[in-house]
Amino acid sequence: MAIITTQNLSKIYNPDTIPVHALRDVSLEFEEGEFTTVRGPSGSGKTTLLNMIGGLDIPSEGHVEIDGTRITGMKDRELINFRLNNIGFVFQAYNLIPVFTAYENVSFIMLLQKREKAEMKERAKELLSAMGLSEKFDSRPKQLSGGEQQRVAVARALASRPKFILADEPTANLDTDSAMNLLDMMEKMNKDENVTFIFSTHDQRVIDRARRVITMVDGAIHKDERKSPPSKGESELSE
Amino acid sequence: MLLSISWRNIWRHPARSGVLMMAIIAGLWAGILVTALTNGWIHQRFVNLIQEEITHVQIHHPEFLTEREPWMYIESSDEIFSTLSRDQRVLSWSARTLSDAMIQSPLTSSGVQVRGVQTDKERATTTFHENLTGGDYLDIDLRNPVLLGERLAEKLNVEIGNRIVLTFQDLNNEITSGSFTISGLFRTASNPYDERNVFVRTEDLQALLGGGEVYHEIAMMLQDEELSNAVAMDLNSEFEHIAAETWYELSPELRYITDAGGSLIVYIMAVILLALAFGILNTMLMAIFERMRELGMLLAIGMSKLRVFVMIMLESVILTFTGAAGGLLLAWLTLGYLGEKGIDMTAMGGDSMAEFGYDAVVYPIAYTNDYIMTIILVVITALLAAIYPAIKALRLNPGEVVRE
Repeated sequence: MAIITTQNLSKIYNPDTIPVHALRDVSLEFEEGEFTTVRGPSGSGKTTLLNMIGGLDIPSEGHVEIDGTRITGMKDRELINFRLNNIGFVFQAYNLIPVFTAYENVSFIMLLQKREKAEMKERAKELLSAMGLSEKFDSRPKQLSGGEQQRVAVARALASRPKFILADEPTANLDTDSAMNLLDMMEKMNKDENVTFIFSTHDQRVIDRARRVITMVDGAIHKDERKSPPSKGESELSE
Repeated sequence: MLLSISWRNIWRHPARSGVLMMAIIAGLWAGILVTALTNGWIHQRFVNLIQEEITHVQIHHPEFLTEREPWMYIESSDEIFSTLSRDQRVLSWSARTLSDAMIQSPLTSSGVQVRGVQTDKERATTTFHENLTGGDYLDIDLRNPVLLGERLAEKLNVEIGNRIVLTFQDLNNEITSGSFTISGLFRTASNPYDERNVFVRTEDLQALLGGGEVYHEIAMMLQDEELSNAVAMDLNSEFEHIAAETWYELSPELRYITDAGGSLIVYIMAVILLALAFGILNTMLMAIFERMRELGMLLAIGMSKLRVFVMIMLESVILTFTGAAGGLLLAWLTLGYLGEKGIDMTAMGGDSMAEFGYDAVVYPIAYTNDYIMTIILVVITALLAAIYPAIKALRLNPGEVVRE
């Protein structure tokens, strides 16, 4: 059964002045455990699609269903609560809270969920360790490298035990080593814990790792390819 | 959680928050100091007038204060004295014989008000005797002693031991006069008062008025100033042909300064708080504009708008409250020192203040209510000033700002 369904999604910005068609009639389904990349040139609608799926933007037409729940048309408060408990976000610019330590950044989302303190502590430590940051619990974002910050952001996204994670250009600000390291971590989470990842990117390193690649052009689905995951050796050769 | 994040957010820019806190500290310190100075002025003038002369309640013939005729004395004064002596609310009382007169020295003459006082009772009721700057009080063994204000003595070119002549109208409307010896000089906080009033023994004045024991004024101090209205009402209902009035009715000046003083303090605080509000607004707006992406992220990952709103309001309140606490502490310490030492206003024209009856050395007073009111007003200001930035944060579209 599809975990995410988009039905005839369209988005038109400035409909009354100079209309911009950011999305045109996009219908997609995403299964649980997918490792999917949405690719395309700038302005092709990748981020708009992710924002619609994540409930951060409202479609002009069509709707989004997550695990059988239609989020299009939900009230603001319901939608925020839905995001908190069902969707994980990873942003290009990491967007960590600068005044919090790595541990506090990961715990914060569980605090919002009102989880038990002990569970929160255990989960945050487990995730940060899995991301190779066991020595960095008490470091603030300023004291971490870009790659480390993004790994904290992934740990934060995973902390709330979401149904899926939306990662918008997660490797765009990272050097190759950090990007590969991050992708390894996310792939491991995907395989070991069956976490669903959907990326928006034009980074070939991410596209190579994906098992499904959706190509967008001018707001519409141009191609939707499924492939078997490349071996690590192939991935390195392609670079 | 929100408290912790708000506190840490304040210290992202220690210099910026520090400057605002210093502004709050300086503003509140100045505000409370000016308030305390005003309180001190009012209190000192109040105490001077009440304790030295007016007292809490006075009794007169109903028309004496407007007509000031010698024959408008208080009838049945003995019965009133008995009542006052029995009334537990009355701390002390003193009867006075009053007359408008002309004072003459060998050099010049001047119009004065002669106040005939019962020496022992007046000493127990008012603190006027503490204003004596030279010579002796009226209980000296001397025939017809008189106390003159220093300014009047200077004007008449007389000194202690000299004689002056007082001429006035007696109870039969005849002009009479008596020779008095200056036994002492006094100086109050009010120069005009010192020039217009002379003090004699009531029995000396009564002898010249020719009507036996007549009194034009009975002044009383009560256990508590707040009893004034009740005591005056009781006396008015018990005795006919008298007018018992409280200090509030007797002294338009005191009425004005106690009423207007409160308004002045409100205006001072309003100006300070307005400046404070713009400072907070500016700082909070800068903080919001800087953190657009972060706030968008918080909304995106599932922090409710209410929590974001509360977080920003808390930042404003904590920031302001920390500054306010510093300002209040500094004001408290300053007032602890100045409250005892006083502020000598002589160099700033303090002498001319005496022309209006105010002391040159002011002892600032801040009441607990002033501190409490200040804290409440500061918190309200901080909340009001933070509303606009907080609303601005809530209007963010997380999808847009996280990508910027």
